Amino acid sequence: MSGGDGRPFGAPLKRKEDPRLLRGRGKYISDIKLHGMLHATVVRSPHPHAEIRGIDTAALLADPRCMAVLTAADFEDMPELVCIDAEETTLPFLQPALARDKVRYVGEPVAVIVAEDRYDAEDLMTLLEVDYAPLPAVVDPERALEPDAPILHFQSNLTDTLHYSDGDAAGALASAPHVLRERFATQRYAGMPMETRGVIASYEERSGFTLYSSTQVPNGVKTNLQTALGLPENGIRVIAPDLGGGFGVKLQIYPEEILLCRIAQRVKRPVKWIEDRWEHFVSTTHGREQFHDVEVGYDDEGRILAIRDDCVTNTGAYLQSLTMVEPFIGVCMLTGPYHLENFEATAKVVMTNKTPMNPFRGVGHVQAAFTMERIIDSVAADLGLDPVQVRLRNMIQPEQLPLNRKFGNVLAGTIVYDSGDYPTCLKKAAALAGHADFADEQEQARAEGRYIGMGIGCFVEETGLGPYESGTVRVEPSGKITVLTGACSSGQGHATTLAQIAADELSVDMDDIQVLHGDTDLVRFGVGTYASRTAAVGGTAVRQAAGKAKDRAAFIAGQLLEVDPVDLELRDGAFTVAGSPGASVSLADVATAVAPGSPLPEGVADYGLEATDVFHPKTNTFAYGVHVATVEVDIETGVVKHLRHVVVNDSGRVINPLILEGQVQGGVALGVGGALLEEILYDDDGQPRNPNFMDYLVPGVQNVSPEIVVEHMEIPTPLNPDGIKGGGEGGAVGAPAAIANAVANAIRPARIAATPLFPARVHEAIVAAGLGATVEGTKS
Amino acid sequence: MSTHTIRVTVNGTEHEAEVPARLTLADFLRERLDLTATHLGCEHGVCGACTILLDGETARSCIMLAAQADGSEITTLEGVVAEDEDLHPVQQAFWDRHGLQCGFCTPGIIMSTLELLREHPQPTREQIDDALGGHLCRCTGYVKIVEAVEQAAGVLSGSRA
Amino acid sequence: MKPAAFDYAAPTSLDEALQLLAANDTAKVLAGGQSLIPLLNLRLAAPELLVDLRRVPGLNEIARQGDELVIGATVRQRQAERDPLVAEAAPLVTAALAEVGHPQIRSRGTVGGSIAHADPAAELPAALVALDGRVIARGPGGERSIAAADFYLGFLTTALDDDEILVAVALPAAPPRTGAACVEIAQRAGDYAACGAVAQVTLGDAGTIAQARVALIGATDRPVRAAAVEEALAGGASIADAAGHAGDGVEPIDDPRVPSAYRTHLAGVVTRRALEQARSRAA
Repeated sequence: MSGGDGRPFGAPLKRKEDPRLLRGRGKYISDIKLHGMLHATVVRSPHPHAEIRGIDTAALLADPRCMAVLTAADFEDMPELVCIDAEETTLPFLQPALARDKVRYVGEPVAVIVAEDRYDAEDLMTLLEVDYAPLPAVVDPERALEPDAPILHFQSNLTDTLHYSDGDAAGALASAPHVLRERFATQRYAGMPMETRGVIASYEERSGFTLYSSTQVPNGVKTNLQTALGLPENGIRVIAPDLGGGFGVKLQIYPEEILLCRIAQRVKRPVKWIEDRWEHFVSTTHGREQFHDVEVGYDDEGRILAIRDDCVTNTGAYLQSLTMVEPFIGVCMLTGPYHLENFEATAKVVMTNKTPMNPFRGVGHVQAAFTMERIIDSVAADLGLDPVQVRLRNMIQPEQLPLNRKFGNVLAGTIVYDSGDYPTCLKKAAALAGHADFADEQEQARAEGRYIGMGIGCFVEETGLGPYESGTVRVEPSGKITVLTGACSSGQGHATTLAQIAADELSVDMDDIQVLHGDTDLVRFGVGTYASRTAAVGGTAVRQAAGKAKDRAAFIAGQLLEVDPVDLELRDGAFTVAGSPGASVSLADVATAVAPGSPLPEGVADYGLEATDVFHPKTNTFAYGVHVATVEVDIETGVVKHLRHVVVNDSGRVINPLILEGQVQGGVALGVGGALLEEILYDDDGQPRNPNFMDYLVPGVQNVSPEIVVEHMEIPTPLNPDGIKGGGEGGAVGAPAAIANAVANAIRPARIAATPLFPARVHEAIVAAGLGATVEGTKS
Repeated sequence: MSTHTIRVTVNGTEHEAEVPARLTLADFLRERLDLTATHLGCEHGVCGACTILLDGETARSCIMLAAQADGSEITTLEGVVAEDEDLHPVQQAFWDRHGLQCGFCTPGIIMSTLELLREHPQPTREQIDDALGGHLCRCTGYVKIVEAVEQAAGVLSGSRA
Repeated sequence: MKPAAFDYAAPTSLDEALQLLAANDTAKVLAGGQSLIPLLNLRLAAPELLVDLRRVPGLNEIARQGDELVIGATVRQRQAERDPLVAEAAPLVTAALAEVGHPQIRSRGTVGGSIAHADPAAELPAALVALDGRVIARGPGGERSIAAADFYLGFLTTALDDDEILVAVALPAAPPRTGAACVEIAQRAGDYAACGAVAQVTLGDAGTIAQARVALIGATDRPVRAAAVEEALAGGASIADAAGHAGDGVEPIDDPRVPSAYRTHLAGVVTRRALEQARSRAA
């Protein structure tokens, strides 16, 4: 199969990685066994907030099964996890690799114990004596800001307050014909890959440290470890094996990576730690918990005149690498695809005794879309207007792009929407979903006592983030091609999509290309995978590297054929002279000609056929899309069934539509979880209430619509040569908004302003709206 | 803690081993026999990644003791087809339909699919949902998994016709 | 998460199993392990000895004995689910089993194990209670029968002594013109329900309800017979009206996802739905 003109770019090709995985030959971190390997377990704080008065390792060290123990006392200079996007105004509440005199969340690492196997190591945990003096804990962000709240670090629990302002929101609100006031709440939940984290560290005098880690960012982890352990660049190698999902929760350095290196060096044997699911719930980062108190001024036609947003994000107990992103984006992307002249927002970043927050799939955009799309639907409902029309009335028009939105996200610079057509996307999605005809279907259902609803969720999302990504393309004398990328895969099919780009550029067979990633010895200048950047940034680096290799190959071929390279055509991996049959030189021939061992062809200065490019995007791109969800609400129980889902998604030009469709569908499922099922719950004392899969509900096959229709729009971005924007997250961004709107539509006029829409909460809204009846009578 | 001698046949090969009482069947397969395709996603019996066939029926190996498997026949993903054989139609269907992304939940799902199609060669959507309801996938959204199962059903029942 | 250390035994006779239990205070019986081993993995339970019943003969039979259906303790849930004797004599058990977990759980889980584990959100205990069945237990002192109404004492707590083993459950065989249903409200199929009901309905000659048996799943700390519902039906109330009594005398569990008032409300809904389904299935 192929793209439009027979080329691999754009073709829905099957993945190269699959046969190996399907045969059970995946190599995930827990599958890796090194000779002499020991096993570690991490002792974690059982308290949400406590002083550590002392740690007594005597009983532990006396046990013959204990090979080593590491506590804060073993560090003269305790490494801290860096917060990349902290600003001058941010109070620096950074997490130490091991707790020193205080613990601030249940799950915080306190010690590492090493034994011959994990079973023994867990037994040994009871022998470590930690003298905790519990302190009052705080979990609610509003409570955390009260003057008498327990303080986690120093001064205040308010790390930072961000301000955004454009136009005159106060004035516009004062004069608006209508004002909506509402509090939109998004709950705490998490990326929750099926594979937890894991690390294997080893140290050898000859080669330094080698760290295997289930990480999305091996180069980033390496750089951080250099700092944490005081190592030069050539002192540590980081390898990411197959990953069983990441979704963002594996996009930073974690304490265990530092700790395992230290302890491996001490015991002089490799040490392995595999996070178990309970640990994952408490020590791998969470996301989303954010509240928007909005005031929205609008006119009789549903035009939004002004928004004032007081936003609070509960970021947990410490700042980790990118903790600030969710508070930023939740506000600065609030307006999504809509115009707004008068906007004023504050975003408060609040610490509480919960697990720290870091970005995961959709970060901040999810809450922004949920809030804005509920606003639009509430406005439409209030005025009795068609929600599609209200959206069209407010939307930025395609001719207005590129459009500087004036606000910035610290890491990504000022937001400039690059390209797109939001109104067309909305109209397509509405048509695909049959929105115009839905009212009839709904009325009929109501007559039968069934409550169905349809809801729209539009979004615009920052994708293709920098700072850069590298690509290397190497042609071997055999003609086989190796592609190196810093874009580590966690299931997205990079070994296929990046090969498609290289195959496209070099006109070769997909079978001749192998993509390698995840090894910092192979990839010097990589960054990693997050923020929907691999296709746009990693792909461009590969495209440009392949282009450089092609140019060099053409030059060498020209020397070999004694023609001007300009007269050469590259097809099926070989250069021919245009209009001159017979004379041809393959890429393999070229690579052979510049292999060491014999003199270089005339005019050629270097050996080898290889090129590297490091692509620094000037700014990021903006993917966008529209979701339309259909749900049925059981009026007696509040249970919501996800019936149908349609997405029109514009990620710019698409490398592999099959893979992108899979990404969108997977994102939608995560969105179903966020809308209906998932919440990380804490009790008031700071104890996690549901750190397991029985009580934290990840969507199963019956929770997700059996039809998730994805249509691609492909308006290219001008920001990279292939016009790619990135599509890994959009499914997760638009779905909760659409589903929440669908529920609100099904049971209007019930008030829907928070997720997750657990049945009890939906039922409460139903009762409050006077719909249905309790079971004593007949239902309506 | 007691240790026990167990005799199990795994993917057609007989094994005799001495195991501690508390060694789970999943860890026995993964650590002792180096059959790492059986994955651990939760170790409390919910996610389904550890699903294997035990005496022909699907079972969660993370909540079984190796000692309980004494005398049993076990099939893991590695045993579905030999290394030099073509992919099984179920595996092929997952490849064709993009029914996997990270691949971590896939082994368990394939084992359950094999059982489903053996018992219901032309399964209804409801039967597919029942068989897969005990498997969590975070990547795919399930749509293409179901498509893969349906394709496999078509191929297998076609070839039996 | 790996379990703490324990010893394991797979005795070949019931007497040996009983001796092992008697000799160790913390010993636990292992049948399917689908409830027990997760607890061990999470280190929420730490018995020193597991006594595996898999080699004890005579515990895995299903037989009609007089007007009772007797199901052996180690009968796998999957086997019971597919057994025609069970479908005929105890359709409520068949209906309840369909809702237990997932097929991969039912292949290992046992009838006796679920009954003895006494999770209030489990289906089989509720079926036992609804049917007014009895548990047959063997201990050092011999065999005894415990009526369902006396069996469940609280959360994960039964009237079984520590040194007793549940060897079978006996259920009154369903009369003709009986239908049964199990209705649960859960966000995911196979999960523990927020609330559920098992109902068995027997029709009389006039096509009205001659007998109804109803029990609640997950409403409180143990499965509970919805006696007030049954009485209302016996008094001629409609199903809808009778279901309104589902919450009578029940102290509902409260948790962040399922608050108690909502749970009580659900009790009425599931009771009504289960009764309606059961009635429509009564031949």
